[in-house]
Amino acid sequence: MLCGSAAHADATLDRIKERGKVTIGVLINGGPFGSIDPATQQLVGWNPELAQALAKGLGVQADLVQVQTATRVQFLQAGKVDLLIASMELNPDRAESLGYAPTPFYRVGGAAAVRKDSGITRWEDLRGKPVCVSQGSSYAKPLANEYGAQVHGYKSASDSLLALKGGNCVAAVHDSTLIHPLLNQNPEWSQYGTPIKGQILPADSVVWTRKGESDTIAAVDKVVRSWHRSGWLIDTERRLNITPPNPLLPELQTRLKTAS
Amino acid sequence: MENTLLSDAVQALKPTGLNYEFLLDASERGAFIRGLGVTLELCLLTIPCSLLAGIALAAMLTSGNRPLAGVTRAFVEITRSTPTLVQLYCAFLVLNMLITQQLREWGVSSNPLTPFIWVVVVVSLHKGVFHAEALRAGIEAVPSTTLEAARSLGLSRMQLLSRVQLPLALRFALPSLVNNVVDLVKMTAVASAIAVGDVTYESIMIWSQRDNVLELLLLILLWFGLLTWLVSVAGRRLEHRLRMPGYGQ
Repeated sequence: MLCGSAAHADATLDRIKERGKVTIGVLINGGPFGSIDPATQQLVGWNPELAQALAKGLGVQADLVQVQTATRVQFLQAGKVDLLIASMELNPDRAESLGYAPTPFYRVGGAAAVRKDSGITRWEDLRGKPVCVSQGSSYAKPLANEYGAQVHGYKSASDSLLALKGGNCVAAVHDSTLIHPLLNQNPEWSQYGTPIKGQILPADSVVWTRKGESDTIAAVDKVVRSWHRSGWLIDTERRLNITPPNPLLPELQTRLKTAS
Repeated sequence: MENTLLSDAVQALKPTGLNYEFLLDASERGAFIRGLGVTLELCLLTIPCSLLAGIALAAMLTSGNRPLAGVTRAFVEITRSTPTLVQLYCAFLVLNMLITQQLREWGVSSNPLTPFIWVVVVVSLHKGVFHAEALRAGIEAVPSTTLEAARSLGLSRMQLLSRVQLPLALRFALPSLVNNVVDLVKMTAVASAIAVGDVTYESIMIWSQRDNVLELLLLILLWFGLLTWLVSVAGRRLEHRLRMPGYGQ
């Protein structure tokens, strides 16, 4: 209904239709959410699959570009990509400077990896103890302010996880989408687990656009809603072996089905 | 009083586009000031440690003992041809992890080697190698006639090094050594990679919440500028004081 009243589509949607191609930035950090298939050198996993399906939903070809956490916003703002599917959660600051499709496709919070023999079972147990995160992590503030942890920020998630192994902190807190697959599937991490129930600072993953591109946003959102209604996201999650299943997906499926 | 002064200063800078509001937040200001202190502490520890390492390495390189000189040469080549950051990662993330795991097997639950200690060790050794090469240039610049004269006085190999070669070598090498120390001061910023709370680390932690990168970078620049300036001034004074009459004049 929003786009119906606009006299003409915004420049990005025009350009996408004109070229028959949409450039989507995807974050590849290994694991089921995005990795490179060693045999074919193709990008595979959750982020690339969603990007491909989104292009298909828009009726154009997909052109996937790998982006990094630190520079993904610059890629979008500089016009190197049209859209971002880059494990980038919704928060008020980002919502102010960028546009996004309002229907989330996932929900991610922080999970803590700890040694199984550490005796830590609750977030409160982290009080006064060293906790590893990556620099710039949004979990740093709640960990320090709400739970009184001593937060140590390493350059990247992998450094933080190595520091955990080196005994420099009692827990490493990162996106649950990173922690769960790592601990479930990697035998090197068999001594570690996620005994703390619940996630810290859960937030919605959305598709990001540049600010004010309301037609692009409406077109993308329509595709995301169709994924929920058809159950495609739930199937994809199962097919990619992403565990535990995200409760947001069935919840949104029910809500959107009854809404239509 | 102090706080109103500070908030006035922050307000005054705002129209120029510089937002130093983090200085009004007690915990962030505290973290930043601690960061300034940790950087200073790192410099005060790594400068003497690296010089001692440099002297020891230079002594081994010029010892005339072939196997010892060979091993030292290999260490020098490897150390100076790999990046400090990579060495720090290898030392702290890999070596330290292996040490922790070994200690755990022996029933020791805590590893006494902190990230701070690893930074001091890695940076001191890295720069020590460069000091050693500068000193070697100095040692080799000592005229053979001077050494001959010293030997004729019956000085032993160690006495020759400590009383004749090193004092002269130090003078020849001083400009290079000061150059190395200036570089070493800047190099302490690698500590931020492994969460040692130096000024760079604390700034990254603040700007990742507030997006005030430029403001903090200016402060980092000022702090390192001040520290390196102090090193240069001290170096120049030392050069002046140690100047040998009759040499290079």
